[in-house]
This record gives sequence, structure tokens and C-alpha cells, in this order.
Amino acid sequence: MDFAFTKEQLMFKKEIIRFAKKEIVPRIQEHELKKQFDFDSFRKLGEFGILGLHFPEEYGGSGADVITTVMAGEALGEAGVDGGLTLAYGAHTFLCADTIFSHGTEEQRKKYIPKLASGEWIGCMGLTEPNAGSDVASMSTTAEKKGGKYILNGSKIFITNGPIADVAVVYAKTDPTQKHTGISAFIVEKGTPGFASGPNLIKMGVCTSQTSELFFNNCEIPSENLLGKEGEGFNMSLQTVEWDRSALLAPFVGASTYMLNRCVDYAKSREQFGRKIGQFQAIKQKIANIRIFGEAARNLVYRIAWCKNQGRPMNHLEAAVAKLFVGDWSLGPANDAVVLFGGYGYCHEYDMERIFRDSRLAPIGGGTSDIQKMIISKLM
Amino acid sequence: MNYDFNDKEFNLFVEIHTRISEFANGKDLESYDTKNSEKNTRLALALLSETPYLKLGIEKIEDYNGLLTLMGAMEVIAGISPSLFLSVETSTRIFGRILSTWGSDFQKEKLLPALLGGKIIGAVGLSEDAMNVDNDPLKTTATADGDQVKISGRKQYVINAPLADWIAVAGQMDGKNAVFLVEKGSPGLTIGEKTATLGYEGVAICSISLANCVIASNQVIFPKNDKAMLNTLKLWENQILIGASLGLMKKAFESAKNYSKKHKTGGKPIIAYQEVGFKLSQMLTLFQTSQLFAYRAAWTADADPKEVESLTLCAKVFCTESAEQVAGDAMKILGGAGFLSGNPVEEAYRYAKYGQIAGTSTEISRVKIGDAALGMNK
Repeated sequence: MDFAFTKEQLMFKKEIIRFAKKEIVPRIQEHELKKQFDFDSFRKLGEFGILGLHFPEEYGGSGADVITTVMAGEALGEAGVDGGLTLAYGAHTFLCADTIFSHGTEEQRKKYIPKLASGEWIGCMGLTEPNAGSDVASMSTTAEKKGGKYILNGSKIFITNGPIADVAVVYAKTDPTQKHTGISAFIVEKGTPGFASGPNLIKMGVCTSQTSELFFNNCEIPSENLLGKEGEGFNMSLQTVEWDRSALLAPFVGASTYMLNRCVDYAKSREQFGRKIGQFQAIKQKIANIRIFGEAARNLVYRIAWCKNQGRPMNHLEAAVAKLFVGDWSLGPANDAVVLFGGYGYCHEYDMERIFRDSRLAPIGGGTSDIQKMIISKLM
Repeated sequence: MNYDFNDKEFNLFVEIHTRISEFANGKDLESYDTKNSEKNTRLALALLSETPYLKLGIEKIEDYNGLLTLMGAMEVIAGISPSLFLSVETSTRIFGRILSTWGSDFQKEKLLPALLGGKIIGAVGLSEDAMNVDNDPLKTTATADGDQVKISGRKQYVINAPLADWIAVAGQMDGKNAVFLVEKGSPGLTIGEKTATLGYEGVAICSISLANCVIASNQVIFPKNDKAMLNTLKLWENQILIGASLGLMKKAFESAKNYSKKHKTGGKPIIAYQEVGFKLSQMLTLFQTSQLFAYRAAWTADADPKEVESLTLCAKVFCTESAEQVAGDAMKILGGAGFLSGNPVEEAYRYAKYGQIAGTSTEISRVKIGDAALGMNK
């Protein structure tokens, strides 16, 4: 066993933190208040290379290993980048682009990956439906093959980047008589007749990310937009789970370090009753709780990343454990941070309330905590 | 980065599991009987001396990773008998590391081979009734008298004291922290009665008093960095308590899991009900998270010594609190069967509290973790 990161990885992490603090963080509060997506920051992520980090250079990526890629997410969180932007990045790079890269033809890769890696195009992924959440196999969106085309009908909901995406990976039933094996994946471009997205859904947290429904009304797409083969869609969606349990959780781990640093700075400067509040044991307890969560969560997230980097088949139990832990245990430290800042913690200006709201997504998005418990108890 | 133990480590865990399980078979290693504790500890130490276990963390052994390998192995023994584990570890890893880290060549030659050969039992007297978070000077003191020293003081909660051949007593001499190696039967040393405790009944714990206890001056140890002595002793104790917590969680979780597969209600095993299955999922999540935390804290001891103290405290808080949670949930799953005395879950539930109190308590740990983050380390 060896928990060390390489020097290069640590240096790269520092670079990302420096870049994000300078270029992205100062812009967050304005966008957060207006619940607006920050296109400029997203493109800057692309320019810096973060959006396509793990793709080969020939597709506009940097060929980074899985651990470095996951570390980028942690670095963004640690720099203080909001959960909205890191979620948009996660949905774009891992749920959309990576699915095209992993299962697409050479033509599909060449057409989409460079534009997605640079941030010129924004990607999203449509799986969840109004009546098919955790029970994916019950989806009712259909893709009927007619001649050289597929005709999509149905709708998707809670789609991160939905209102702003240029390209979507959409799951639909090519064989409605089957459950999981009837699901196929398609690439759908913005502007395709019959394809529309709804207005941004107003959410509790991750407010700069744009979330909406996607509507397919006799939406005709060319058959070459099928990803892989018919019936392979469910397995493709499962393969994104490894990224979901590492790269998409890493920003929460980074955010805990950001909270820790902010709380420490505040406790060292704020004075009450004639002394710095950091001298009170109750403040130290909260700081300790935040650190303990971050350290515990970090080990779980990088275990998934390391296994993926080794090329091992995903361990579903360990993935569910990581998701359950980060989801259910991140709320306590976020609450501690709000309390530590007192009245300021409740106000937008001090970030803690935003992180508190953002962290509430962790036990919901990408499979709720209860679903993780179902998975774990079945595998036991 | 690597999240796997190597083959040699894995084989060691299997070997230790086999040997200690066979040893434990048919014995009551948790009984409240000092003679029984002494017999079992001596036999187990002799048995373990035939493996690399006792040397881990004390001597460098090829293909093993010091404390990291040790943490994996500790979980195995603590998962079979927590009491035996605590006796063995106090002797080997605290008494032993006092010798190996700070002892003179004379002291090492005299005691280490016998200790690592499983021939003697060590104890450590540290706790005093006025100890606090600020590490005020210990009240146990010694004065020189020719080539002898005379020690006076009282120590509480001394693990192994009734069975120990040697007791390392922490105190002050010439205004500095020091450790005194006191042999059983030394004049002025009184061993108290075994204390009744909530858990760990198989461990012989008592207070000791030293009234002008005389030892040779070459039995005094002055640690190099004497100011860090108390923190270092607590660190070693915390590492053991982390290992113990892993063992307790393993025992409680496995018992609850097996029970929930066998016990049926409404025509199906209770694991099939979400109330039970979900509870087990949370328990496993805490257990696995604790394991990784413990391994990383142990790894840090060799790889990043600057971080070891505060990271070990973080792991200590997490693992010991998780142990109580897991044991409590396990008892709920077993229901009435879990509440019966003498079953592994009831035992784990009682024992788990000790981990939070002993070593650096979880409250003081959090204060110290906060101090480290705030740059307020004393």
C-alpha cells in the first residue's frame, strides 16, 4: 500500500488551484446570485485543459491518468470553485464526452471529442425521466428505427447542462419489450428538429449549473448517431459510474478542504469575549470534524480512481461505499462550517451557506444514498 | 499510489489468523481472571514470536511495510480476541517501542530480544489522576542516589501490570521527562488489585504505586526529545486503539451479517428487509472507511512523519466512534440475541467505548486536531 501522489500530480494540483483562484473564484458570487451559468469560466477550464484531461492528445486532451484527472476535481473544490461549475464539468466531461469516447466510432470521436475537450461545445447526458429515476429500466423514452433513422419520443428530467448543451448523450428504449437490454445510447445535437430543452429548474444548490428537462417529439436522428450497438446503453451508463464515484465526488472532498481553510482563517481573525474564537474548544471541535470528514472521504475516492487507473473492473460495492459516505457524511461538516461563521455563515457573501446547499446534492445526484444501500446490501 | 497489501503481507495476515484462531479455540480469552490472562498472554506471545508480527514497527523487516503492515495484522488479532490484543500490543508496541526508540544499547540488549522472542511481558505506567490536555509535568518523580535512582508516584489504569515482568514508568527526573524501567519485585513497587471494568475483562488492569522504589541508574531512559515524550507515548497508544477498533467492527459486522442471513422472519432472511440491509450497508461503509483511514494514518508514520500526529488523531476519532456505532447497530440487528451477555456483539458494544476514552480521548483529540489546523500546537 502506498497513498502517495507523485510530485508531478501535486505540482499540477497547485497549478489548478492557483489558476482557479485567479480566474474563476472571483466570478462565482455574481453568477450564483443570478443562478447563471458562467460560460467564460467553463471555457477557461477548457483552455487550461481540465475539460479533456484524460482524453488522448490526438482528440484535444492531455492523456492524463485517472488519479490526476480525479485530482483536478479535488483541486477545483479546494480552490473554492462552486459545486455548480464542477457539476457542469462532471456532466460534460464524464457523463457525455467520456461515453462518446469510450463507445463511439472513430468518426464520432473525431467529430465530438476535440470540441468537447476544448469547451467549444457543451455536453450533457439524458438518462433520468420523470417516472424513471433510480429504476432506470422503467424508462419510457423510445427510439424507433425507421429506414436510416431513429425516431426519439419521450422526455428526460434533471439534466445537468440541459438548457445550454450543444450535444447530448441520450438513453432510450430501442426495444420497449425488454428492460435493461432494451436500452440504447444516442448522440443528439442541439437544433435537431423535435429536440428541445425546458427552462432552467430552480434548485436548492449548485445554482450556477443549468438543469432542465429534455423533450423528444418525433425527433429524427441519423442512425450513425447510435453509440455502440442497440441494447448496450445500460452497460454504458453503468461504466460512467466509476467516474461518478471518483471524479464527480472529488470536488466535494476539495470543498471540505476549502471550508477547513476558510474556517481556520476566520477563527484566527474573529474575536469575541476578548480572544480569537479559535481559542474556544467548541470552534476547534468543528474544525476537527471538517478535517476528519475530508481525510476519510479522500481515501475512498482515490481508491476508486486507483482501481480504475489499474484497469480493474469496477468494484460496485466499493463504489457504493464511497458514494454513500461522501453523500451522507458531508452534510455534518458543511453544517459545522455554517455554524462556525455564525450570522456570516448564513449570508451569501461568506460562501459557507453556498457550500452547505451545494453539499445537499451529494446524497441525491448520481444515485441516492438509499440506492447505494440497496446496492451494498445486495452485494453483501 | 497503491491500495493493495502485497502478497507477503496478505500471507502474514492469513498465518496470524490461523494461529490465533486455533489458539483461541476452546479458551475464554475474555474472562476476568488474572491468572488466565497471564497464561494466555504468555502463550500467545510465544506463538506470535514464531511469526514476524512482534517485530513489526520495531525492527525493519524486508517486504513488510512497518506500521502499515502492522495495522492490517492488528485488525486480525483484535477481531479474534480484543483483550489478548490489548495485552500483547501494550507489551510489544508501547513497552517495546520505548526500548527500541529511546533505550540505551545496554537496555536494548538486556530486554528487547526477550520481549520480541515472546519470553517476557511489558507494561507501561503513564496515566496519572491530574493529567490534562496541556501535558503538565508528571507527578511521578525520581531522584539520583549514587548509582541508583529512587522513584515515587502513583499510576492508574496500567495495562498488564499484574502480569508484567517489567514496567516502564513515565515520570520526571532532573526537570526532564524520563522513563524508568522497573522490574517486577523491585523494592518499593506495589501492584494494586485488578480493576473491574466495563469491557476488556480479559486484560489485567490496575494501579501501581512507587514509594522510593529503587532501580539501577542504567534503567533510566531519557528520550531525545523529552518534551514530545508524552505525545509520542499517546501516539503509540492511539495506534493500538485504532487497530482494536477495526477488530471490534469486523467482529460486530460479521456477526450481524451472518445473523441477518440465517435469522428468518415473515418467511425470508431479515437481511432482505431494508431496515436491516440498509443498516448493514452503513456499518460496512463505516468499517471500510475506517480501514482506509487507519491504513493511511499508519502509512503516514513512515512516509510523512510531520503529519502523523494529527492524522492519527483524526483516524482515532473516526475509527473509535465508528466502532461504537457499528457495534450498536449490530446489536439492534441481533435484537434480544445481541443483548445476551457473552455474545460477540454485546462484547464489542461494551469494549468500543474504551477506544474513545483511552489514549487521547476523542474530545481532546478534536481539540488537538483543531490546534494543528489553527497553528496553535503547543
